[in-house]
Amino acid sequence: MTVKWIGKRMVMGMIVLLIVSFLSFFIMHAAPGDPAAAFYGGNAQTLNAAEKERISRVFSLDRPVIAQYGTWLAETVKGNFGVSYKEGRPVSTILFERLPNTLLLFGVTMFFIIVGSIWLGTAAGMKAGSVWDKGLSTVSIVTSSIPAFWLGILFISFFAVNLGILPSSGSGDIGDEGGFWDKLRYLIMPATVIILTHVGIYARFLQESIKVESRNYYVTVARANGIAERVIRKGILRNASIPYLNYIGMTIPSFFGGSIIVESLFSWAGLGQLTVKSVITKDFPLLMGGILLTGLIVVVSLFVIDLIMYVVNPRLRKGDVR
Amino acid sequence: MLKVDHLSIEIGGKQIVDKSSFFVPRGKITSIIGESGSGKSMTVSALLGILPPGAKATGKAVFNGKNLIAVSDKEMGEIRKAHLFTIFQDAANSFNSSVKMRHQLYEFSGRRTGDSSQQFQMKMKAILDELGLSAEIVEQYPFELSGGMLQRCMIACALYVEPDLLIADEPTSALDMVLQQEFIGLLKRLNEKQGTTILLITHDLDIVAEAAHEMIVMRQGEVVETGNVMTVFERPEHPYTRRLLESRF
Amino acid sequence: MRPQKALTFWCAVLGIIVILTACASFLSSYGPNDMNLDEVYVSPGEDHLLGTDHLGRDVFSRLLEGGKVTLTVASVSVLLSLVIGILYGGISGYVGGAVDTVMMRFLEALITIPSLIIILAFQAFMQGGMWSMALIIGITGWLVTARIVRSEFIRLKDAEFVKMATMFGTPIWKILFGHMLRNSVPAIFIVTLFNFAGAIFIEVSLSFLGIGVPPAIPSWGNMLYYAQNDILIGAWWIGLFPGVMIFVTILAINFIGEALKNPERRRLDA
Repeated sequence: MTVKWIGKRMVMGMIVLLIVSFLSFFIMHAAPGDPAAAFYGGNAQTLNAAEKERISRVFSLDRPVIAQYGTWLAETVKGNFGVSYKEGRPVSTILFERLPNTLLLFGVTMFFIIVGSIWLGTAAGMKAGSVWDKGLSTVSIVTSSIPAFWLGILFISFFAVNLGILPSSGSGDIGDEGGFWDKLRYLIMPATVIILTHVGIYARFLQESIKVESRNYYVTVARANGIAERVIRKGILRNASIPYLNYIGMTIPSFFGGSIIVESLFSWAGLGQLTVKSVITKDFPLLMGGILLTGLIVVVSLFVIDLIMYVVNPRLRKGDVR
Repeated sequence: MLKVDHLSIEIGGKQIVDKSSFFVPRGKITSIIGESGSGKSMTVSALLGILPPGAKATGKAVFNGKNLIAVSDKEMGEIRKAHLFTIFQDAANSFNSSVKMRHQLYEFSGRRTGDSSQQFQMKMKAILDELGLSAEIVEQYPFELSGGMLQRCMIACALYVEPDLLIADEPTSALDMVLQQEFIGLLKRLNEKQGTTILLITHDLDIVAEAAHEMIVMRQGEVVETGNVMTVFERPEHPYTRRLLESRF
Repeated sequence: MRPQKALTFWCAVLGIIVILTACASFLSSYGPNDMNLDEVYVSPGEDHLLGTDHLGRDVFSRLLEGGKVTLTVASVSVLLSLVIGILYGGISGYVGGAVDTVMMRFLEALITIPSLIIILAFQAFMQGGMWSMALIIGITGWLVTARIVRSEFIRLKDAEFVKMATMFGTPIWKILFGHMLRNSVPAIFIVTLFNFAGAIFIEVSLSFLGIGVPPAIPSWGNMLYYAQNDILIGAWWIGLFPGVMIFVTILAINFIGEALKNPERRRLDA
């Protein structure tokens, strides 16, 4: 059962990556100039005739589009993403420079959002009808209606321009003198903006799940038989966490979209900012690479969530889908 | 053992139970019988302090010298844990579906009596065995077991904790005929062997006739008749009870 | 009755915003693109109600005109995604079987890809006017609508009145449009409402990144794009007001959607 389920999930992930790769390939084709130029960027001019022919052969430009896609995909899977127009460096090198920053921002914000929303959502959901309960419902709608980047602009205006205590943009470099603490200073604003605009809505979802779960029969049975409130809550939380995890999985793509914008606002040197920049400068190889890698990160995070679900939900494990 | 005096329950201004009084003697099986909507389940909820939000109970229900209607939440929790055990109608939904039976059975039994995990395993294994349940079920999840098995798990816990008062709220209505018979047999055995006082809520006269010593007839929120089962069956006083008994045959 | 009041209030707020932006040209005394280099970065005051920007353009007129652009782009794209969503979801739900399975698997895969990424890819080539913007947002925003329409159609396919209609030999298009689509309207309306908020978000985000509506056309997102620099020299009003407008608009939509989503339950909670 386990193997089958994981296999099914992996196939789904592969399909997603395939669609993303189509999208990427489409960019290469739609790009002005021939695909070889698109792939080798600014360096294409320096290639001589023989080399150009070799590239044409490698990318089977004389063959049908589907064959071309095949060869391109084979190159990509091998890690050859081509060369950036603007920088003249291999795309893969640039992507790997940017990856840690994106993962750092993603990891930190997701961590605080999950911890914060579990704390708030549990506090509100377990006490139906309380001030917490009613307050969170409203506050979450309000905070999720704030565009994150606009909040970012306000933050910059206040903390960077007026108070001058935090840097307005950049991502700091661990290698620099400031080291870790310097990096943290750069991280605070983008991370806070993302956390503040997201934590409420996730908390609210958990709150609603807990309220629904608390109305279940087994809760009454347990309570009537004098089972400790702590134990009952643990059970409720465990069951409520299943739809909650599902919700996180469902919203991760749009969450990623949001962080692309925040990265750009704060010039946080991550994949999102890189991708946006490559759109503006029409650096197609870089854009393709950025899209592929983002797709890969989303697929991997969804897979991680699936695995957690699998551990939490025994019905999945036992193959009981009632 | 339990003396209920002028118990009234209302929800949003509507009278669900109206000044009902009855007595549950120690060591006997007492049955509350009534149709659905007669207020018998609400009465149980009031005794256990698990009324739905918006419901209000007045009157007295004295159990072991304490008025269950007026005690604090904390005290109620203590009483539920130390003296009572309640089996509900819907066994299939009485357990949390994503927690292994071992943990849930322990919370329902060993934890209440203060036994260690090892003591619990020994004792529970013997009880399960006696009830014809395999010891393997403790490693399973509720959704892997049938309703009948789960109801037997509940009674296993009742056997384990030996409560002063066992409340069974329509415990058999979700079971088929054979399992019903078996379950009633288990209740009787519990009463005979351990001397457990049982309050059995049902709408089925056959079950009353078979299991109970004393009976309380409820109708539209009121207690219309109480007394010894034999006496009531032979000489019903209230017209409703008479009609009830006639419709049985 | 309080939820009812809240619903009325937020509908009124949204209505006022729509009317204000629609009447932009009557309400402002300056043209949205009138530059006046003698009056750059004027703080909010008598002459310019909400101040001026780096080219001396009146922020108030740009705010109204920008709202018109943002809301138009959002409306057009939502209509487009509504049509695609109904077609895709309707076919999937009505035909059922293997077709449904394949279509839903494909949809699930698409939903996994951040729509912003797809839009970025398109924008690399198509950076045109606001209509191409609306087009792109529309063709990437139909996924949830399709899912809702599908589940509604599957539910309604088994409904008594649809079965009756089929038995009486009602033409299939009449069943589809007259019965099934009409009964899905409440569910579709709510998802479309949230889609509308989403479309505003995307337009604003893209323009904010400098790859949305062309800079010559004012939109709330464009205004915030320039505000990034203005804020560093202390001209806070240029960034504040468009943001407030976006916030209030989306807030109103979200509250309306919440109130409509589950009226029975809301009433119990209150």
